[in-house]
Amino acid sequence: MKRSTLIPTGEATIGPFFPPRYVDAGANDLTLLEGRRAKGETIEIHGRVLQEDGTPLENLVVEIWQADALGIFRHPADPRCAQADPDFLGWGRAATDANGSYLFRTIRPGAPEGRAPHINFMVMFSGLMRILKTTMFFGQSADPVLGAVPLSRQELLISKQEKPGLYRFDIRLRGENETPFFDD
Amino acid sequence: MKTVIEPRDERTQPARIVPGYPQTPWRNPAQPLVKRGPTLSELTGPVAVAKRVRLLGGDIAGHGARQAIGQLIHLRVRVLDEDAAPVGGAVVEMWQANGAGRYIHPNDDDHAPADPNFYGAARLVTGENGMFELRTVKPGAYPVPTGDGWWRPPHVHFSLFGKVWLSRLVTQMYFPGEPLNAQDRILNAVPDAAARERLVARYLPPTGDPHNALVFEHQIVLRGRTATPEQS
Repeated sequence: MKRSTLIPTGEATIGPFFPPRYVDAGANDLTLLEGRRAKGETIEIHGRVLQEDGTPLENLVVEIWQADALGIFRHPADPRCAQADPDFLGWGRAATDANGSYLFRTIRPGAPEGRAPHINFMVMFSGLMRILKTTMFFGQSADPVLGAVPLSRQELLISKQEKPGLYRFDIRLRGENETPFFDD
Repeated sequence: MKTVIEPRDERTQPARIVPGYPQTPWRNPAQPLVKRGPTLSELTGPVAVAKRVRLLGGDIAGHGARQAIGQLIHLRVRVLDEDAAPVGGAVVEMWQANGAGRYIHPNDDDHAPADPNFYGAARLVTGENGMFELRTVKPGAYPVPTGDGWWRPPHVHFSLFGKVWLSRLVTQMYFPGEPLNAQDRILNAVPDAAARERLVARYLPPTGDPHNALVFEHQIVLRGRTATPEQS
């Protein structure tokens, strides 16, 4: 029997007027949820978001989604969901500052089954008619998503460790060293 | 419950580079987007966003001496998936200009007056039936500072969290019968006429509603359908 089918609504740009209050204080700190601390190693991820001419972009919205320290997603589709850290939501939001920089404090994700440790990123901004999606890795590794990227561009998805617990992941929307984005 | 995400018909989605929208050629990837088979990571997503963000009420028009200036409207929006199943418990963020076409945002210039009784943002959660309702004022149109006569028609922005990461949606809703709709560069970036029409709310004739608000209905479809037994 054919199921009823609706067509997904068209996307549109987030525009230049996304309310600043929607970037809630603490929304970029995934290590704390309702005052309780997530299990695992705290890490920080920062980077700059640039457009084609190298101009840093201010007030751009970045969101991340990731597994907990054991590699479990807090979502019913994960067969191990019942064991997910109750104090880790896995989602955060940040806005870039005048320098184009964002910062997240989070937990180092474990490896989900069949995947290398990674963090999913979304970028939303004025001039982006659709959400751009990419994925950050911690090192070169066997991974189906990293492996889908042409070899010459894979390193653009690998964050640089600047010191223990501090990673840098720059996002270049277009041009030289353009970040690979996914067609989902 | 597993969610399946299928490719969308490109004609129902906006072009990435839009003639007359000057930021688009600087910010959209020049390299081809990379195709990947979704894994559990993209087919899961945040299910308790409301624990991380603060909800803001669904009546943003104000009352009495604090009522915003403009035409009172009542929005009834239904959020469904591709199976036409309601998406309950979804966090929805909305924002809009005031009745004069002005946003409360540092990026907005002073082309139109701010309204001290209107901030223009609500953050809600859909009910089990996928519905959310909002009392607000109709947003005004405003000129885009491109200097070539582009005005945005009245519209409301929505940001929604669906069941999985790939269901995340940022969209805009338009009002029926607005002459500026036909020229808007963002609405018309969607090639398919029927897909554009689905971005326009439906006007319900007044029925003597004691709240004196004009009612508009709208439907938002998030990506994803429930896996059939052979897919799960």
